Amino acid sequence: MEATADYTAERKYDFDVVRWFTIMAVVYLVVGAGVGVYIASELAWPFLNFDNPYISFGRLRPVHTNAVIFAFGGCTLMGTAFYTVQRTCGVSLWSNRLAWFTFWGWNAIIALAVLTLPLGFTQSKEYAELEWPIDILIAVVWLSFTFNFIMTIANRKTSHIYVSNWFFLGMMVMIVYLHVVNSLAIPVGLMKSYSLFSGVQDAMIQWWWGHNAVGFYLTAGFLGIMYYFVPKQANRPIYSYRLSVIHFWALMFGYVWLGAHHLQYTALPDWTGSLGAAVSLAMIIPSWGGAVNGMMTLSGAWDKLRTDYVMRFLIIALAFYAMSTFEGPVMSLKTVNALSHYTDWTIGHVHSGALGWVAGISIGAIYHLMTRLWHTEMWSEKLVNVHFWTATIGTVIYVVAMWVSGIMQGLMWRAYDEYGTLAYTFVESVAAMHPYYAMRAVGGGIFLLGAIIMLFNVLMTVWKSASAGSLREARGTPAVAAA
Amino acid sequence: MSSLADYFETDWAAMTATDWVGTILTVVIFVLMVVAYVQVFRPKNRDKLEARKHIPFEDDHEDRGENDGRP
Repeated sequence: MEATADYTAERKYDFDVVRWFTIMAVVYLVVGAGVGVYIASELAWPFLNFDNPYISFGRLRPVHTNAVIFAFGGCTLMGTAFYTVQRTCGVSLWSNRLAWFTFWGWNAIIALAVLTLPLGFTQSKEYAELEWPIDILIAVVWLSFTFNFIMTIANRKTSHIYVSNWFFLGMMVMIVYLHVVNSLAIPVGLMKSYSLFSGVQDAMIQWWWGHNAVGFYLTAGFLGIMYYFVPKQANRPIYSYRLSVIHFWALMFGYVWLGAHHLQYTALPDWTGSLGAAVSLAMIIPSWGGAVNGMMTLSGAWDKLRTDYVMRFLIIALAFYAMSTFEGPVMSLKTVNALSHYTDWTIGHVHSGALGWVAGISIGAIYHLMTRLWHTEMWSEKLVNVHFWTATIGTVIYVVAMWVSGIMQGLMWRAYDEYGTLAYTFVESVAAMHPYYAMRAVGGGIFLLGAIIMLFNVLMTVWKSASAGSLREARGTPAVAAA
Repeated sequence: MSSLADYFETDWAAMTATDWVGTILTVVIFVLMVVAYVQVFRPKNRDKLEARKHIPFEDDHEDRGENDGRP
């Protein structure tokens, strides 16, 4: 019966583009995490820079962030959004051709990023390093994604738009707005431009984008994934639809205020940072409401966690989501920020969100998609379990290393002796961080190992489906499929 | 701050057009959030809203004729 349902969906919807986004997401997870482990190792063992500017930390770091956020995260978001909108609206994509344009356009952008960033072409804006011609291409491709999504919703057969689509749509609209404003620049050459903003206004615009890239791209978009894939994997509806509605609107109205908390103790007016911190604290309520909503979907069926490895990824991701959305507001408070700012604590916080929440929910969704899109079970369920433990242990080692390193850094930087002079030199604090940098590289390495295992398992699942002809059969006639 | 009143004191005459736009937007958003809370948690709307949680299972339901995910 399961196969019949999937076969009907296979002929009803446009899944080819989703399949390609899914595979590329896993490839980019390995590439992005691989570069991350390499640059983490460069920090621990600087000889790995090999005096080669193209592979130095400064140039590879944006390659890592762009690969994991925009390549892995982007392909996951686009694949899951195209899948979810079709299945919840009961119609195929408004334009399959436009979806393919989005796929090739997005991958071209990723290729351009991999080429230009090591060569040193950068706007030096956090999470927006790419130069102006690529920024324009991003806007065009993102709009094609958004327009196709909106038109598919417009064609829907259901009377109501399911909440996961709200989250995806909120992300799409806000990213257009944020990306365009943050990227406003005056070009002075093909690969050189100057920001339209300067001074503290430039800093504010950058962090208005920076934090909202986290809020709308890495949170709202992936919540769209959560609200569809957690119920589907659990085979139970979301715990409370009403809570999801409040979660959505509170997130949309609240998140845009938070950027200023990145600029505490700077030239930014004091009240702006305080406002950012106050709204950050308020955001704990909807964020935890959403996390509880996802977790409570398993209420009465917690035993699934014992046997369903994909469910484990989805639920541990929600645990990290709850943890990160508590830690972030605490770090935005001026008293805590005085210790945490500019230290590795921030890196630990970011990676508890990135590895625990974003990667966790993505990996869970991708494993769910693999069986639905290739019409077969995973090549190895055991390897999914191995991946779960490597991802979880790797993340915990990474985050703990950065927490300890960051808090130690902060304490060393502000320690005074009895004469009122600094107790430690900066170099002493760098030397003290070394063991934790090595520990971070090990944690990242374990996470990377899990990603490689996932890629292997995914490719073997595709091979298994091809060998058995599962996908070909699903595309065949209903009579054959049912038989 | 000597008192709560001092903390909230505002020089209204010094407010620029941008300040007013920001202030009005903030108040409007706050009111809209209150409206959203009231509407969503009103007992009368409970069944209508909660019925929508089954949408992800509707295409399976149509295909299979089962009550997947429904109470």
